[in-house]
Amino acid sequence: MLLALVLLPIIAGSAMLLLRGEDRRLYRGIGVVVALATLVLAVAARSEDWSAPWLRAPFVANFHLGIGALAFWLIVLLALCTACAVLAVESARPRALVGQLLLLEGTMLGLFISRDLLLFALFYDLMLVPVFFVLLERGEHPRDAWRYIIYNFAGGLLLLFATAAFGVLHGTTDVIGSAGNAISGAWVPWIFWGFAIAFLVKTPAFPLHTWMPNTYASLPPPVAAVVGAVQSKAGLYGFFVIAMTLMPQEIARYSTALIVLGTISLLYGAVAALVQTDAKRVVAYSSLSHLGLIVIAIATQQPLALAGAALYIVAHGLFTAALFIGLGYVEEREETRSLARLRGIGANNPRLAGALTIAGLAMLGLPGLAGFVGELVIITGIVQSGNVAVAVVAVISVVLASAYVLRLFQGIVNGPVAHDLPVRRDLTWREGIAIAPLLLALLYLGVNPHAVLASGSVAIPRAPQSSAAGVTTP
Amino acid sequence: MANPEHVMGVVGSYPLLIALWLLPLAGAVLCWAFGPQLKRAAGWLATAVAFAAFALTVASWGSGTQSLNGALGADQPLVRWMPGFHLGLLLDPLSLLWACIITGVGALIHLYSIGYMEGDSAFARFFAYMNFFLFAMLTLVLSDNFVGLLIGWGLVGLASYFLIGFWFYKPSAVAAARKAFVINVAGDVGIMFAIFLIVQKTGSIGFGNAFAAADTYGPTLLLAICISLFIGAAAKSAQVPLHTWLPDAMEGPTPVSALIHAATMVTAGVYLIARCAPLWSHDGNAQLLVGTIGGVTALTGAVLGMVQWDIKRILAYSTMSQIGYMIMGVGVGAYEAGVAHFFTHAFFKAQLFLGSGLIIHALANEQDVRRMGGLRKRLPFAFIAMLVGVLAICGIPGLSGSFSKDAVIQGALNHGHPWLYAVGIVTAGMTAYYMFRMLFVTFFGRYRGEIDPSELGIRHPEFAGTAAHADTGGHDSHHAPAWLMNLPVAILIVPSIFAGWLLYGGADSPWHRFFDPQFGVAAPANVPISELTTTLVTLAFVAVGILVAYLRYGTAAARESAVERLRRESVGMWPILANAFYFDVALDALFVKTSEMLGRLVSRVLDPHVVDGTVREAAIAAQGSGALVRSLQTGFVRAYAVFLAVGIACFAAFYAFHGVH
Repeated sequence: MLLALVLLPIIAGSAMLLLRGEDRRLYRGIGVVVALATLVLAVAARSEDWSAPWLRAPFVANFHLGIGALAFWLIVLLALCTACAVLAVESARPRALVGQLLLLEGTMLGLFISRDLLLFALFYDLMLVPVFFVLLERGEHPRDAWRYIIYNFAGGLLLLFATAAFGVLHGTTDVIGSAGNAISGAWVPWIFWGFAIAFLVKTPAFPLHTWMPNTYASLPPPVAAVVGAVQSKAGLYGFFVIAMTLMPQEIARYSTALIVLGTISLLYGAVAALVQTDAKRVVAYSSLSHLGLIVIAIATQQPLALAGAALYIVAHGLFTAALFIGLGYVEEREETRSLARLRGIGANNPRLAGALTIAGLAMLGLPGLAGFVGELVIITGIVQSGNVAVAVVAVISVVLASAYVLRLFQGIVNGPVAHDLPVRRDLTWREGIAIAPLLLALLYLGVNPHAVLASGSVAIPRAPQSSAAGVTTP
Repeated sequence: MANPEHVMGVVGSYPLLIALWLLPLAGAVLCWAFGPQLKRAAGWLATAVAFAAFALTVASWGSGTQSLNGALGADQPLVRWMPGFHLGLLLDPLSLLWACIITGVGALIHLYSIGYMEGDSAFARFFAYMNFFLFAMLTLVLSDNFVGLLIGWGLVGLASYFLIGFWFYKPSAVAAARKAFVINVAGDVGIMFAIFLIVQKTGSIGFGNAFAAADTYGPTLLLAICISLFIGAAAKSAQVPLHTWLPDAMEGPTPVSALIHAATMVTAGVYLIARCAPLWSHDGNAQLLVGTIGGVTALTGAVLGMVQWDIKRILAYSTMSQIGYMIMGVGVGAYEAGVAHFFTHAFFKAQLFLGSGLIIHALANEQDVRRMGGLRKRLPFAFIAMLVGVLAICGIPGLSGSFSKDAVIQGALNHGHPWLYAVGIVTAGMTAYYMFRMLFVTFFGRYRGEIDPSELGIRHPEFAGTAAHADTGGHDSHHAPAWLMNLPVAILIVPSIFAGWLLYGGADSPWHRFFDPQFGVAAPANVPISELTTTLVTLAFVAVGILVAYLRYGTAAARESAVERLRRESVGMWPILANAFYFDVALDALFVKTSEMLGRLVSRVLDPHVVDGTVREAAIAAQGSGALVRSLQTGFVRAYAVFLAVGIACFAAFYAFHGVH
């Protein structure tokens, strides 16, 4: 069933690319069904483990698939985002776009359920291909496609080298999700940085981020939603299942360097987001900032910070996808993304305004929505690890986030109606359904973060001194 | 329950408590979802919800004040929020008092709003926000832990944001809403930081644990926690220098100003410090800091209140000043006095705002007092309402304000802060001046609404709160019966006059008997100046304030020459006062301009030219002439080949180093 999980979207997507005709409802329908089917398959196959031999020399590598705890939530996020993105596709040529979205989902699913490093590296490169072609065909400039592929492929190659080196050193790459494979030795720092740089490109983190604003701005909104929400998590997921478990000594040794990079990203992204005039670029730079916080959490190795990071990975995916889809709706209606021109959409599109409100509030970390819990728990962990100065920077970036989110949101939604822009109807049912699940999930996780945190994605520490808090229930 | 040391109150099942907490949320969701269907009924639904919540609060009175084995209040565990962290509700005297004001005064203001918002195109949305505010504020005061408090803290900020920016097509309202929200987020992260520190020390987010450990924090950590909490309190309660959002927040509809920006939300900082009394009582430096900021705010608000022309801004600065008193009270350790001033202020300030709303409503959204005058005969009920409010806030003996304000001033002295005592007395005199100034200019003399604004010294009528506001909300077609707006004001007159008598009787007063279990019985202070003397000295300052106001605006001669006098004053206003001590300019330059400059540096210089430089060259090279096939053949494949060669070289090097096993 695990194999079916990966193959279903890949086959469906490839078939779609080969077919003819541009029936929007048909392809959207197939896409949503396939995405939801992967969700069902993932839940059904949650405890499965499937393996077939692959390489015997120069090291052992297997086609080994299985779903870890963090991977499970990422897969749920991925399937949900893909379904929503497919439903939100609005194009005269939807067939190829839906097909590429499914290919993207399939390759990322493969990444998340790989239990073998070599397989992981393979999918890591494969998932670039659909995005590259979408950028080339539908991006705003071919330059964006090349920039994307050069950065990410370079990262992928580093990952491949590091994997090969790991295999040679350790004898096998079939190591993800199984204990007792930590390695040590003179070469390990090099291998660690191979992995780490690859992951930092993908996330991205300063100074490897410059491909990202262009890519996100250039991609069609549904694809930007999936790439921004889920593909950006591939690197962070790699930190969790590869760097942290296989090279724990290195991550402790280089934690300062990672914390510095994360902190710079955090602030750099936040101030850059303050002055962008392209709505999608605001979200892109905010992503740099928010994911920088997760990098810091990973670098501290503090259990509470890691628990918060796991939650924030999901929360960030939800609000990023919702915002990209929502901004896509705005662009469709007003034919521009420029904050200098957009205003007053709320008067004629109250439902769209409401959707953007919730997504934006989640992004700025409003208490009661999922983003807040992630931030709160991560920064609590950062303080516990003794990095109080980093925590100060983190809370400053929270204030900056409220400023850039409101600038974005109010700029689009509030103010007098812009008479030089077209007036189009409010969200249709389809458009509403394509964004509503993401918003509901944000609300649910904000009220009940226990759902993700208690699932064992990360071991939650008991509180350090006393065993309970607030009101204790037996 | 398993761990009694964490529990502040008596743990049990309190369905009323949950009901009163969730009811306004249900009302908000209904008004929001079915607004178009409900139409005017949305107002009545929301009002009914508010009154029901008030009834439930009163019904929970017993559980909030019960005392068993020294435990205090009703404790309702709710949800497992995270492993090891639980959220719950707590109803003790302090939260009970706040819940009563929130739901009680809130219900009256809901009723008033049905009349005030009549005819607005977003009538149902307004009531959805109002009910949502009640829910958020109840979350804030009923939580039994810091995270629940912070959730409420953030949500009231959101409700305030929505309601300040309610008329979202007005750019000034949108800007005011954003400013209020961002400053309040700065406060939120202060509280967040306090949570980090408390969790690090105690491993807990519960009030009980945090306070039980108060004497184990050590001076540095305790001060850091108190300062972090106070940043939150200062932002929410408009304390210097984080007060600049409050005057701008008057862009919201007047009932909002009454409920959120006078009676309830802005006093959340007072609640926070009173709630964390065990922390403050352990730290003299924190007390000094908070007391001083409170005093400075009281004085600043009063000075700026003396020179405003917009009736709502006069009241806004007055609110800021009065909250300064409250913060001074709870800051120096006179918790019962500070909380009492919140209690009485909620009535008389809500009444003043609602009274000003009657005027604004009757004058088609005119807010500039220079264009009023002589309204005593035209709006007799509004005059009486405002008069009672003014007398109460000035501290005329027997009215509510006198009891609580004198208690705060005396408290500052009793706790060893003679300077704050003096500030309190001087501010009382200034309060009397600006309040009577407002009264004389608004209600006496001749009506000046027909005079050309420039003759009154109004240079930019479109910005000065004049009739240019008439496009807000379309009030012209209102047909709401007058009693809808008059009745709540009339009801509020009663507590505005009498609420203070709860404090009568010194240590045996009902107020003290109610709060002594919460804050502990104060040790009899070595009082250098008696309470009677304090009251008399304060009254002397108040009398001087009223007299000056009378001489400047109230005498027959002053009324005759009012137009000329107002023009001269407007034109000749000192820039430092006209710019409200330049706080806005300074905050803007320090934070807004700086971060925007950094942002431009990053996105126009660093990102494109420094960080990205080399790779961009590669991208341009790879892109070649732009033809896909050619670039595949030239740039891209070559790059790939180079990488591959480097990789093989690495492997070779590896084997060369390690040899073959």
